[in-house]
This record gives sequence, C-alpha cells and structure tokens, in this order.
Amino acid sequence: MKKYLLPIFLLLSIMARAQEDYSERSRKWYLPDHLKLQFAGNIGFMSGGPGYISRNKTLETDLLFGFLPQKFGGDALVTLTAKTTYSPWRIHLKNNYYVAPFSLGAYLSYTFGPQFDSKWPSYYPVGYYWWATSFRPGVYFGGKAGRNVIVNKRKRGLELYYELGTYDLILISYVQNSKFLNPGKIANLAFGVKFGF
Amino acid sequence: MKTFCHFIFLLLPLVLVSCDDLFQFNPNQIILEDDERDLNNKNVKLIQALPVTDTVKFILLGDTQRGYDETEEFVKSANNQSDISFVLHAGDISDFGLTQEFKWVNEIMSKLKYPYLTVIGNHDIVANGPLTYARMYGALDYSFEFGNNKFIFINTNSREYNFNGNVPDLVWLKSQLSNNPGNKNAIVVAHVPPFDADFDPELEKQYAKILADDPNVKFTLYGHQHTFRDGEFYEDGVHYYVTTNIVARGYLIVTTWKGGYKVDRIEF
Repeated sequence: MKKYLLPIFLLLSIMARAQEDYSERSRKWYLPDHLKLQFAGNIGFMSGGPGYISRNKTLETDLLFGFLPQKFGGDALVTLTAKTTYSPWRIHLKNNYYVAPFSLGAYLSYTFGPQFDSKWPSYYPVGYYWWATSFRPGVYFGGKAGRNVIVNKRKRGLELYYELGTYDLILISYVQNSKFLNPGKIANLAFGVKFGF
Repeated sequence: MKTFCHFIFLLLPLVLVSCDDLFQFNPNQIILEDDERDLNNKNVKLIQALPVTDTVKFILLGDTQRGYDETEEFVKSANNQSDISFVLHAGDISDFGLTQEFKWVNEIMSKLKYPYLTVIGNHDIVANGPLTYARMYGALDYSFEFGNNKFIFINTNSREYNFNGNVPDLVWLKSQLSNNPGNKNAIVVAHVPPFDADFDPELEKQYAKILADDPNVKFTLYGHQHTFRDGEFYEDGVHYYVTTNIVARGYLIVTTWKGGYKVDRIEF
C-alpha cells in the first residue's frame, strides 16, 4: 500500500502548488482547499476527505476515506480513494450562486481486507485472474451547484454535486452484453457536498 | 427562481436513472433482496414438490460468467425444451465474484420455467464471492433427493484454497454416498472436474476411487473447461461429462431413470 500512497501525495502536492493564489493566501501551500463529504458512489456508504482545486477552479483532486457499515452493505468495508474531477464550465448567477453543469472525472479506490488482492498469490498461474480485487478504477460524469460567501473577510464556498458513475469490471461487462445491460443498469448515483476554505 | 430551476436540473438524473441499484457503496457490497436469499434451499423445495416420475430430465449449464446476453438466449432455448424438471448450474455464475453479477444472473435465470440450482465455481470464490454465494444460494456442499435420484453438489475449486487438502471435502462426499439406503442413482455435480489442473492433484485419485467404488454412481457432471467433453477418464466405470460455457452457446440435457441414463449436447 505504501508504494501507492507516495505518488498520490506527490500528485496532490503538485496540484496544490499549481493552484497557489498569492494575492489571497496566508495559508501554507499544502493545506487543502476544501473538504468533501460524499454519499454512495462505490467508495463507501459515506466518504470524506481533503482536496485541492486548480487556480482556474476547473480541476479538483480529492483523497476520500470511505466506510460502509455491515448494516447497509452486508459487509463492513473501508475504502481509500483518489479522485479527480474536471468541470470546464462555470455559470455565475445572482447572489454569488453558480452552476457547473458538467463534470467529468475518474477515481481509483482501494478496499481493505484479506479477501482482496493487489497481486495474486503464487499458487495461481500468471494471468489466471487478470484484475486486482482491491483496486477499482471508475469513471463518472456529473454536475454541481454552489455559492461563494465571504466569512471573516475570507472567501468560503459551499457546493452540492452529483455524480453518475461506473467502474472497469462493469464497463467491460456492458461492452460485451449490450442487450441485457444498458446505461441505467451499469450506472450508480452519488451525492456530495464540498466545503471550500 | 432561476437558481431553483438550476437545482431542479441537477436532480434530473434521479429521474433518468431508475435502475435497480441506484446507490452503490462498494463493488464488494452484499446487498440482497429477500427473493435473492437461500435460493438453493427454496428451489430444492420447489423441485421436491414436483410429481415424481420414473424418468427425470434436467438441464446442466455452466460458466455463465460475463455472458448475460447468451444466458438470456439460453433461458429461451431451455424454456422450449419439453419435460424438463429443473436446471443445474455447474458454477462460475459470476466472473469477478461481485454480488451485482450474481444478481444479474439470477434475474435472468428467474425467467426459466423451471427451478434452478447451483454449485460454486472458482470465479465465485473471488473477493467477497463466497460470502455472496453462501447468502444467496446456501451451503457450498449440499445434496437433495428427487424420485430415484440423489444429487450431490460439491465444491471442487481446490486452487482457490491453495490446494490445502480440504477441498473437495472427501469425508463429506463419502458420507453422502454411503447414506443412500434406497440405492438411488447418485449424481455428483461439481465445477472443476478431477482431471483438471485446478483440482487438488493429491485428492484426484481418491476422489475418482470414491465415485468408482459406489455402484450407484454411473456418471458425474462438471463445467469449468469451456468445452464439451465426456469419457470414462479413469477407466473405472464412471462416465464424466463436462458441459461447455454459456458464451459457447451449449448445454447438456440429462435424462436419468432406474438403471439407465442419457446425455445430449444441445447448441443454441
């Protein structure tokens, strides 16, 4: 796991440097720009964590810690997820409201547990199973709406977002089964809230 | 007002996506409806409620893994066969061991005119697969009697347990075969056949001998190899049948009666 964490943190720090805003910042560069709290989306029942946003406010990168209680999921599962969301357009409305009608993103999740493998044990021939069960990449599109407010002379933001997503194994299944499977069957919905600071 | 409209626009996907599992929390979640639980037990009851006849005709299919479109076509083909009592699935229901896959296969198999039973395959043992299988279908080793037959389903996916010597459970298999006072036809159904590299090589000969030593065992049924095969592989009087995978559009129809049986390959 450790060897994967380092690149993730490196990426996060590069993102953070890229978005540094000298005119406003007294904060250290490595401090996150926002926190997200998400419901569903195959990365936990609830997941949450810090994230960074690019200077032009189109690219967000988040690190989310997710938990699925046994009560809701049939198994208690802990997930760590890195995700990046690109929202190219932002429509400004009255009273500091705005809408970003379209977002596109991708994530890589890691689910903890002895039943999940990153590298298959040696008693399998090479390539016997070709996928890792612990790592799960996925893609999604969505949208968001939010409001910027000034609190204590600092710009703060509150944003609501939704994401419709799917993941690699299900996408492959869909490509091969276009009659039985359809976008509605392979997609899942997530909601989230972002607190910007 | 304009803002309000925008928020409504954001809620649109809720309406558009009216799928069965709108919210998903982890690919490995095990969330089941009541009618997706304990299916083997429920279906055994349905089978045992059927009128008992001298001749029993059933279907063996295998390896539906990631072949939903073909499994749907299988159901159509199976429903057009006559005098079928039930359907047996030889394992690899799922490809990735995901609950979602098990649920989809069950959704399709529920359209069969007959009850169906399963035995666990190696792909069903991946990730949380064994937990899902146990909750959705039941025990990994089980048996039931119908008419003049005793069906014995056994987990033979030795490689998934690092060939630890406990899979298949030969003690259980022996006890199931010896507990047959009516000398019914004993039909052992499993996923990995003993002559496959995924079957524990330390147990292969013993397994074959246990079957051969029982006069009630005339033939035995498997999947896993993704091709039709049959033969008396150990030259001991037991005929082994392997059904192909569902993407290859084939299955077996087995007819069994007191003192005899017949196996037909069907392609659809």
